[in-house]
Amino acid sequence: MTCVSRGASRRPSLSLLWGAVALVLSGALPAVAQDPDPLSKLDPSSKFAVELLIDSANTLGLPSDYLRSTALQGIALKVDGKRIVVECRKKFNLLKTAHAILGSVGGEELKAGASVLYAGAKPNQLAPFKARQQNRNDLEAFTIWADLITRGVPSEEASSAITKLWQDGADDATFYGLWNNVQSDILKGLNPGAAFQNRIRETPGRPTANKVTPPEGQENQSSR
Amino acid sequence: MNERKVAVFLFAVALLVPVPRVLAAQLVSKIEAGQYTVSDGALPFSAIRLAPTVQFELPHATLRARGSALISEQNLQLADGIVTGTFTSPTVYGVRAEMIGNASRAIDDRSLGTDQVDVQTRVHVLFHEHGGVWLGGGVARPWRVAVASQASVTDAGAWAKLGDALAKFGTATMTATFTNFSFTKIASVNDTGSASLSCASPVAPAANIAVRALFTETPGTGACERQSRFNDLEGSIRWELGALELTAATGYRFGDSYDVTPDSKRWTSGTATIWLNDRIALVGGGGRQPALPLRGIPARSYGMAGIELAYWPINKGGVPVSLPRATLVKGFEMHALPTGMHKLIIHVGGVETVDVMGDFSDWSPLTLVRRGRDLWELSVPLSYGMHQINVRVDGGPWMAPPGTPTMHDSFNGDVGLIVVAPPDKSAH
Repeated sequence: MTCVSRGASRRPSLSLLWGAVALVLSGALPAVAQDPDPLSKLDPSSKFAVELLIDSANTLGLPSDYLRSTALQGIALKVDGKRIVVECRKKFNLLKTAHAILGSVGGEELKAGASVLYAGAKPNQLAPFKARQQNRNDLEAFTIWADLITRGVPSEEASSAITKLWQDGADDATFYGLWNNVQSDILKGLNPGAAFQNRIRETPGRPTANKVTPPEGQENQSSR
Repeated sequence: MNERKVAVFLFAVALLVPVPRVLAAQLVSKIEAGQYTVSDGALPFSAIRLAPTVQFELPHATLRARGSALISEQNLQLADGIVTGTFTSPTVYGVRAEMIGNASRAIDDRSLGTDQVDVQTRVHVLFHEHGGVWLGGGVARPWRVAVASQASVTDAGAWAKLGDALAKFGTATMTATFTNFSFTKIASVNDTGSASLSCASPVAPAANIAVRALFTETPGTGACERQSRFNDLEGSIRWELGALELTAATGYRFGDSYDVTPDSKRWTSGTATIWLNDRIALVGGGGRQPALPLRGIPARSYGMAGIELAYWPINKGGVPVSLPRATLVKGFEMHALPTGMHKLIIHVGGVETVDVMGDFSDWSPLTLVRRGRDLWELSVPLSYGMHQINVRVDGGPWMAPPGTPTMHDSFNGDVGLIVVAPPDKSAH
């Protein structure tokens, strides 16, 4: 009797517990579903224009996350919506240009190529990167290239030298080493063009036989 | 007078020269032009105001030069220039010391003008980046101000910051300040440029029977002097919402009735700024500013409208303590983890918070965890590819982390570039 009594007294508590769980879940699920799209922080017309560009990129098989990232960065920096649309449109056109030149490469390579064009390289300077060895990516070369142009190294000089190094089979460590030396010289006060010319002369085209450990570059980089 | 006009003009033109991008991280400039209306009759009814500012920022120091000139009917009426150097110590357990030095000159068309040098030290207690209190003190040495000699200044204040850049209602920063001025007041005809008077002089303030008892004749100089002091209590709020910035301030001056003139007893002013883009803004405002007796600047009422041009916008946060810059960051490292994550390590000391953001976080700030005196860490998922990353310390400006290749981003800033190798090469 005592047991029956206990069971009877527990049943309502259990029901209440399940009810509470169901209530929490029912509340939580829509909450997840309602997670707002970060792009919704744009004004409606700018949001529409950005989404249109993203759809167009998807249709063309271009990496649309490049455009979305640009829009989100603009939102984070509180940039006017119209300006964000202008920048997304510019990036969309650069992606199309990079795709037309580099051909059917991966999305990451296309984004990197577009970034180099954004930094100031000319479209025809990307053309040599269309022919590539298997399992070789040009991300490091493109990254260093974009940085050098940004630092004031003349675009023609940076482009021809980076292209030559890449065609000669230079590895990521070589590119990073070149960049490290050039930026170090620039920080010491050397003219960017001169710093680059000095360092490119002493940069080997191909990796040396006794390959050194990659400098603390992209997977393990330090400026300390 | 012509030389002054030319100097102001050249200074303004110099600010219009584009700044090399390499220097831009440390050099900011601003110039305002506006129409002023001054109601006290001592200044022109209508004037153009030029207010250029140049600022150099170093990791623990800021050097700022700013000027202001009221020009009316082809004549310079009132010019005010000030050079400020601020040295800030690293933050230790939320406490930061600050030393501020000012050298200023005010040129008034009606007198010879005044100079002043002052030094002040402040100790701030910071509650992360959301608020703080401070206590400070210093001395000011005016020249060519007949009305006052050396002064001591003591101030205390508190500030609080609500919201953030992405908040629906923007950011609001409220500040309350109490300042005490203590100085020796000397009887003279005018505040600036006139010689001190003896108490027996018929035009001396002390000739007024009501205030005669307040002044005493100094034996050595024969000047008619008295110890004087007054206090300013001021509150201000700055609200930033998108392209709109609103600033309002109100104050109350109290102390010896002789020193607190009616035109400086209470004041209120407000300014609205609407940024049309990141370099041009419309500015409008008005109100009353109290007299600055130590600098010989009279009280004035004004209404103004104009434009503000910024070559490299000055960080206009309303926080009344200079925050450290990302250039304090000594190092940046990235390590691949076996889990597929990447550990970001940043070396920076003397700060309260370190954030990163990039395409990998959808450009939302991620706060790093402190692991040592100057070591901050965070593990983030990074896929194969070129990623963009920025870092900031103590809520300061976003900058590319040191030791990474950089490029200009789409919005007048720089962004760091990091490359994650394909999975088969991740062992590098």
